Amino acid sequence: MSFLRLEGLVKRFDDFVAVEGMNLNVEKGEFVSLLGPSGCGKTTTLQMIAGFVTPTQGRILINNQDVTHLKPSKRNLGIVFQSYALFHHMTIFDNVAFGLKMRKIDKVESDERVREILSLVHLKDFAHRYPRELSGGQQQRVALARAMVIRPEVLLLDEPLSALDAKIREDMQTELRSIQRTLGTTTILVTHDQSEAMALSDRVAVMNKARLAQIDKPFALYEHPRDSFVTEFLGKSNVFEGSIKDANDGLSSIDVSGLNLLANNTDHTIGQAVDFSIRPEKIRFVAQGKGVIDGTISSRIFLGNQWVFQVETSIGEFSVVSLNTSHIDIDQGSVVGLDWTPSEVRLLTREVA
Amino acid sequence: MNTLSNPVNQVRPYLLSSPALLLYIGLFMIPLIMTLMLSFYSYDVDRGGVVAEFSFTNYVEVLSDSYFHGIFFRTFALSIAVTVLCVLLGTPEAYILHRMSGRWKSICMLAILGPLLVSVVVRTLGWAILFGSKGVINESLLAIGVIDTPIKLMFTNTGVIIALVHVLVPFMVLSVWASLQKLDPMIENAGLSLGASPFIVLRQIVVPQIMPGILSGSLIVFALTASAFATPSILGGRRLKVVATTAYDEYLGTLNWPLGAAIAVLLLVANVIIITTYNKFIERKYSQAFK
Ligand SMILES: Nc1ncnc2c1ncn2[C@@H]1O[C@H](COP(=O)(O)OP(=O)(O)OP(=O)(O)O)[C@@H](O)[C@H]1O
Ligand SMILES: [Mg+2]
Repeated sequence: MSFLRLEGLVKRFDDFVAVEGMNLNVEKGEFVSLLGPSGCGKTTTLQMIAGFVTPTQGRILINNQDVTHLKPSKRNLGIVFQSYALFHHMTIFDNVAFGLKMRKIDKVESDERVREILSLVHLKDFAHRYPRELSGGQQQRVALARAMVIRPEVLLLDEPLSALDAKIREDMQTELRSIQRTLGTTTILVTHDQSEAMALSDRVAVMNKARLAQIDKPFALYEHPRDSFVTEFLGKSNVFEGSIKDANDGLSSIDVSGLNLLANNTDHTIGQAVDFSIRPEKIRFVAQGKGVIDGTISSRIFLGNQWVFQVETSIGEFSVVSLNTSHIDIDQGSVVGLDWTPSEVRLLTREVA
Repeated sequence: MNTLSNPVNQVRPYLLSSPALLLYIGLFMIPLIMTLMLSFYSYDVDRGGVVAEFSFTNYVEVLSDSYFHGIFFRTFALSIAVTVLCVLLGTPEAYILHRMSGRWKSICMLAILGPLLVSVVVRTLGWAILFGSKGVINESLLAIGVIDTPIKLMFTNTGVIIALVHVLVPFMVLSVWASLQKLDPMIENAGLSLGASPFIVLRQIVVPQIMPGILSGSLIVFALTASAFATPSILGGRRLKVVATTAYDEYLGTLNWPLGAAIAVLLLVANVIIITTYNKFIERKYSQAFK
């Protein structure tokens, strides 16, 4: 039995469906991210787990106990809010100690635990400051310490890093992950940043339009997305509409705008409409006529560690990414061949509109 | 960069604010200074009224006469009572308003702020109609048999306090509401998730964070009550004199302008002292946590 279970969770605001049929199982100690575009219901899901929003339907179980209708104050969860929601009238020490005070833990032990967690988040020397006197990154760590010191069953994080700038954000990601590992707390992180979700989590749950689209380990999710939404949400891909023409010897041939392209067999049937998807970094440049398809370079952008090319072909525009490992002399306007192995191609069931 | 060192630019701010400055000097500073001067003159009917000779007689008279002590004390006590009641009523009112949403919020907001659009005199006269021994309140209470004889509300402290609270509570609500607006909407959830009951969240998290709003609101209410004129004069009459109505009576009743001026100046000084001390106290207490 999983440690945290969401069973058919639904939330409706009047007629508007914010979360629909959400099923999620999280193991003890696991780090799971809820990833999805703005408004897809991530925060609402998290708030239902926290108890701030009552589900319209479905159950929430923590450690085999049904907590669906338990008060937030009785759930023993640690929550880090996007805005941090620190208590501005209290010192850092008192902020962190608040949860322990509510649990009537004796002063000696409480002081000890507060000091311990503050040194874990590198804020020992800031105990007697007020929140306003700290930087954004430091406030974020206070919020984390305040949530963790009560030794919560589950730690819930709602875009905790989105207010920080890129550099601090990366540092905090590393720190968050190492603190989570150290304490072994079951964690759910809400984010709309796919690299953050992949960098931090054991598993990523992608949400789309109030539903769970797919959940898997970051690598598996990136390599084997179920549909074009998940594909494109996790990173760029070249997606073309096509249909299965025929399948034999482990390879299917797909008709894309009159061109025959190969891909590994899938459980699609012949004649079925599919999305043909190949990621930009899986495409190699070869001499004209030597690849799967020829094209003309329409633009190239240098990003430091990599080049991004746009290539115009007979079936549409491709995006190709090459690492900046050696000198690449492909200029705008030159005609090149594009090549890839059929096993890198993904065939995605077309969403029926 | 260094635009302020340019002489033209140094003058410009003063130039731009001069119309307001002149208005302020003309309409506020000059009358104030004249009142201050007037308060040191004396009044003698035999010598034709106001005598322009410098003396402390008026201040000595006010400060040594127990009649005036009583009036100052009543004003002070009234201000405290009204302030306390406004805090007790206005704070929850603002909080409830803050928690409401949509149409009801707009309606309640209008109900609270609407009265500010009506003159204080009109509102007070409204209370006078309600309060009289043949007034609406007494008639209804008598009718349903809660009381046998009319309760006295006109010309009593109770009546004056009720009306002043009604007049001034919107200021309290606005002030508290402003600081509630600055509160993190998730702050209460943060408290709940840490194991605090809703009551503890309110007392230990919300109230302390809106304290600056409560304190500045009470400052406004206190100052306005201490100098209130219309309400005490209509509902309190001659029987319940406060400092402002006393000054008025000296000016227009006895025609002893210097004495009236001295009373007004003393009220101003007392108000300024109380407000600045209070402000210092607030600043000292909250400077670290709040900007
Ligand atoms: N109290 C509410 N009343 C009505 N609709 C709501 C309420 N709360 C959320 N919604 C709607 O539910 C949907 C999901 O909201 P939610 O806050 O869960 O999105 P989210 O995935 O967290 O988005 P974001 O990434 O922008 O934070 C949104 O369309 C939102 O407008
Ligand atoms: Mg959200």
